[in-house]
Amino acid sequence: MLAGGLGLGGCATKGFVREQIAVVNQRVDALDARLQQTDSTAKSALAEAQAASGQAQNNGQRLDQLNARVDGIEQRLQTQEKQRKRPRN
Amino acid sequence: MIHILLALAGLALPVSVPARTAERALPSGAAQSQPGMTEAEGLSPSADAARVADWVAASGDNHALPYIIIDKKAASLFLFDAEGQPLGAVPVLIGVAVGDDATPGIGSKNLAEIGPAEKTTPAGRFLAKYGLAAGRQKVLWVDYATSVALHPIPPGASKKERRRQRMLSPTPDDNRITFGCINVPLVFYTKSVRPLFQKKGGYVYVLPDTKPIEVVFPRLRVQALVNGGVPDPGPASSTP
Repeated sequence: MLAGGLGLGGCATKGFVREQIAVVNQRVDALDARLQQTDSTAKSALAEAQAASGQAQNNGQRLDQLNARVDGIEQRLQTQEKQRKRPRN
Repeated sequence: MIHILLALAGLALPVSVPARTAERALPSGAAQSQPGMTEAEGLSPSADAARVADWVAASGDNHALPYIIIDKKAASLFLFDAEGQPLGAVPVLIGVAVGDDATPGIGSKNLAEIGPAEKTTPAGRFLAKYGLAAGRQKVLWVDYATSVALHPIPPGASKKERRRQRMLSPTPDDNRITFGCINVPLVFYTKSVRPLFQKKGGYVYVLPDTKPIEVVFPRLRVQALVNGGVPDPGPASSTP
């Protein structure tokens, strides 16, 4: 009786398990697809971040160069201002 | 109270001074008959000023630019447009020293380094243009090389110099006070001189104190010949 009960219970469990496995497989596949998408997005974001970092470095260097030029121009203007004549009032 | 009265007098300067300074005019009948110059705002030109004005107008020496004639002896300024029409006449302040030349190198000296005898307003014909001066101020440079400019009384001028009062006084004798620059009334400068001169500049003819006028402006001799007269030989030609 017990063995029969167990046998019947075993058959029901296989079908149930297959169904459950199929559901889980679907979910795993979906998760796998999302993971791949997320991975792709992350890689893309990393590439963009690296590009932005490089651009920022370039911009920083350019700013430094421009600052140097502005300083030079300011110094030249100051020199010219000192050299500028004063009218004899 | 005195300051207020002086300020009010200063505002009225361009109108009232020419009428009062009419007494300064030399008794020149010829001046009134010159086509190039008429009595402007009551300030009569001297014979020399009228002669120079006549010459400039007749010869086109101003090259279609506005021009100014400064009579140092009368401490007066006469303004003309590009066509030679007189536009106004005002009293001016000029260099404290009598003389028609500028000391070599004076243009590079500081005001404090300029000696009393060096404070002359040089005579001659100058192409004046606006330009920047120290302190980023824009002035009408009459002779940049010798740092002579035309401008209103500078705000930083010493009160002891009493420039305003000197300009207001009816006599030209006290109008010699500057380091060589030419000071004009502020309203005249902003409303008459600057609009005319700020684009392309113009000519400034400064009459001499001591030199013969034909030495300073040699083309006057030619003009005299053209007019059928005999030019003044002057001191240079009288020597062997």
